[in-house]
Amino acid sequence: MLFMKGMAKYMQRQDKIRNFSIIAHIDHGKSTLADRLLEATQSVSSREMEEQLLDNMDIERERGITIKARAVKVKYEAEDGNIYDLNLIDTPGHVDFNYEVSRSLRACEGALLVVDATQGIEAQTLANTYLALENDLEILPVINKIDLPSADIAGVRTEIEEVIGIPAEDCPAVSAKTGLNIRDVLEKIVTDIPAPSGDEDAPLKALIFDSYYDSYRGVVVYVRVLDGDVHAGEKIRMMNTGAEFEVVEVGYMSAFGLVPAEKIAAGEVGYITASIKSVADTRVGDTVTDADNPTDKAFPGFKEALPMVYAGIYPADGARYPDLRDALEKLQLNDAALTFEPETSIALGFGFRCGFLGLLHMEIIAERLEREFNLDLVTTAPSVIYKVTYKNGEVKYIDNPANYPTPDEIATAEEPVVRGNIITPTDYMGGIMELCKERRGIFLDMKYLDKTRVELHYILPLNEIVYDFFDALKSRSKGYASLDYEFDGYKESKLVKLEILLNLEVVDALSFIVHADKAYARGRKIAEALKDNIPRQLFEIPIQAAVGGRVIARETVKAMRKDVLAKCYGGDITRKKKLLEKQKEGKKKMRKLGSVEVPPETFMAVLKLDDE
Amino acid sequence: MKDKLSLYIHIPFCVKKCEYCDFYSLCDLSLMSAYVNALITQIESFRPVAKGRTVDTVYFGGGTPSLLSGEDMARIMDTVRSVFHIEDGAEISMEANPGTLDPNKLAAYRKAGINRLSLGLQSADSEALKRLGRIHTREAFESSFLLARLEGFQNINVDIMYAIPDQTKKNLSDTLDYVISLNPDHISLYGLRIEPDTPFGMEENIEASIADEDTQADMYMEAIAKLEAAGFLQYEISNFAKPGYACKHNVKNWKCKEFLGFGPAAYSFFDDKIFSYKKDIDAFIANPLKIENLVDTFEYLTLKSIATQFVMLGFRLRTGINVEEYEKRFYDDFEARYLEKMKPFIEKQYILRTDTGYRLSKQGFLISNYILSEILEFE
Repeated sequence: MLFMKGMAKYMQRQDKIRNFSIIAHIDHGKSTLADRLLEATQSVSSREMEEQLLDNMDIERERGITIKARAVKVKYEAEDGNIYDLNLIDTPGHVDFNYEVSRSLRACEGALLVVDATQGIEAQTLANTYLALENDLEILPVINKIDLPSADIAGVRTEIEEVIGIPAEDCPAVSAKTGLNIRDVLEKIVTDIPAPSGDEDAPLKALIFDSYYDSYRGVVVYVRVLDGDVHAGEKIRMMNTGAEFEVVEVGYMSAFGLVPAEKIAAGEVGYITASIKSVADTRVGDTVTDADNPTDKAFPGFKEALPMVYAGIYPADGARYPDLRDALEKLQLNDAALTFEPETSIALGFGFRCGFLGLLHMEIIAERLEREFNLDLVTTAPSVIYKVTYKNGEVKYIDNPANYPTPDEIATAEEPVVRGNIITPTDYMGGIMELCKERRGIFLDMKYLDKTRVELHYILPLNEIVYDFFDALKSRSKGYASLDYEFDGYKESKLVKLEILLNLEVVDALSFIVHADKAYARGRKIAEALKDNIPRQLFEIPIQAAVGGRVIARETVKAMRKDVLAKCYGGDITRKKKLLEKQKEGKKKMRKLGSVEVPPETFMAVLKLDDE
Repeated sequence: MKDKLSLYIHIPFCVKKCEYCDFYSLCDLSLMSAYVNALITQIESFRPVAKGRTVDTVYFGGGTPSLLSGEDMARIMDTVRSVFHIEDGAEISMEANPGTLDPNKLAAYRKAGINRLSLGLQSADSEALKRLGRIHTREAFESSFLLARLEGFQNINVDIMYAIPDQTKKNLSDTLDYVISLNPDHISLYGLRIEPDTPFGMEENIEASIADEDTQADMYMEAIAKLEAAGFLQYEISNFAKPGYACKHNVKNWKCKEFLGFGPAAYSFFDDKIFSYKKDIDAFIANPLKIENLVDTFEYLTLKSIATQFVMLGFRLRTGINVEEYEKRFYDDFEARYLEKMKPFIEKQYILRTDTGYRLSKQGFLISNYILSEILEFE
């Protein structure tokens, strides 16, 4: 009886907690809805609120996406007269960060599924919704943007019911922009999302769903406490990495920042600081427990976030190599998924081979390096990791085309493939299926979501996706199709190394791995792109694409013949000086490959091969 | 003793703007007399500066200087002579457009002291002239040229262009043959440049109608051969002359000698300063003495930057850089500064050694921007 009474005590406490996240496609208004919820609970006044509170990185705001999860706790006085603690856990909205999404969802009992009343459900949303359903979350549909004239509330309700199979009859229809019906959402959270039910007397078990490096506190770890509690002075252990720390402070995330507390207990969402120096020790998905009284089992499903895409990153100015290293180290403090190691290229000098979760992750890192650390970069074509079995039985994973063995050394070569899930209006289905076929996709099945939209499932080689697949998908569907994918494994493939020669010399930074059937077409396109990008120089420059020493495409940059200012009198003199000065500066930025001068953007330009 | 001074006088009026031209000129000829008065006032104001300086070249450029009446030209030249000491045998040039000249005007110009005439033919092909937006025909040019000879002009230049839209090698070669047949004293051959703020610059796809880089290079090399065979020696990238007829004014320009410019948009290089006047005729007419309202750009050049300019411009000339002249004027070791960077170009014979220094070959002229951007140092 005593036991029951005790249970009832903390059941009562946890009864007033609701943990939820928001699932939405980019642009469907997740951040705006989060802002309105905070406003409605008076956690922040609209004046105090910077436009979108949860996304606090510049790049996120510019791109309208959430990269890293954030969390916030608010108090809400419900119509039943009780005051509830609502913990909103934000999730990243891009396929590169799929794993982080799944961890964020695991920290919740429910999720708001935001659907744009004018657009309906998109691939991203669907993928994350399935994730949420797999995690036994209560899904609460919210139809947004009902203020727009093209809003089709009834249609979207039907779609939610048909596609996801959850009732949407009485789900809130809101305008996060105007604030219309926001209270309905809050009430639904209270009535429909289950309260947490952790065992407060059990040993500590807390799930890490995010962490970031703070130069004063060290790493701030965001956790959901499942069982037990955690307080300052406690010795904790990260169950998967084995790292141990002494807790310095625990507390909650308010809309204004961190609020210290005596302890955080089962059912709650909060933070822990423990003088942790690197986010590598606080991997998302790991379980925190009491080092002296550990829980017997870690929370299942921990995966180390592994890079899927690799690229060389070089400073445009070789002298800034140490700055680039410092910058990468700083970024890594906050991004355990970013890997890098020194690399030397004959063409580009000293740089780093960097690993990323995906292309977006790569673009974000490159952009942050340039913007926050004021570096000019040369980035090489991204590559996936190939698995090569040598004739002597040795198996190697190769992330740099420069290290790819010659054909006579290879027994089998395998490439990573992904399971792709594309949602498109039926009008563009033909073009997209053609694209997938061109990209060596294997069709699995398809499902009509409704009369106008279809979901296609393909197995696709990842190396086809890293080549402008997103752009091609967008251009073939007028921007309507969306793609979501997850790693599916390695598959044997006829792979060849395509080498690019400038002036008869192989340029290591331009070579890459390609499927044998694609080598000719891609070699030709790259040679053409190079021809358009390399300015004429004093001598003729042959550009060749070769496979195994055999030239499969050739272009020529003709020797420069004319670069002269005909008239040079009076005022022309000053103008000419400026012109020559500019010309000289342009030349300084060029990379010298053998005797050929190549503008730095060339390395990326060969990637942006227009899809038709 | 100071070098002899050059004067440039800008006449910013045209009957009609050409399609390619980005020089400062207006088509409102009603401002002409007010403009001439303002010009005279401005020249007068240089009396203190002119003191003790001899002038050996005067150049009237535009616009279209031949829109000046004979009387106006005489008034301007009288002012120039009263302010500056113009030496005997000074070269006094003016640009003239065919179709704006008549015997009386030519006689008046001669009388005012003009002894060199520069006629803008551009092309002998009537289609090309139309395309360029020129007001004259080949016949009008020919009669202007012959009239000028009749009036006693012993030094006449004809301007020709290549890389005109739709121009073929044959068109250019025909124009050259035609001009050579008239036996002028000087020929300028300019590659047309598409400037952004001109009708040509705004025309869509104009590049497609213009010969490609290789054809242009061929045109240029073939033109040089033809002109030199006819006795016109290439003395600068774009200029050819019978012996003794090189344009003194421009050669002085390329040797970084001092010149004073008058009128809106005119540049001056004087006393180590380079400055220009605004392209604003109204402000100029309103008060040609209010210098603070008129000056557009003003830059003090260090000796080093003049030296750089000297090399940049010196390589335009067939005579090239005279090392001794360079070293005496700039207290700088030419070879220490430039030889290493010139070497690859010397090897490929883009740069040639001369008795007194270095010069560009014809091939070198063609890629002179590239070469200069490699070897010059800017501050």
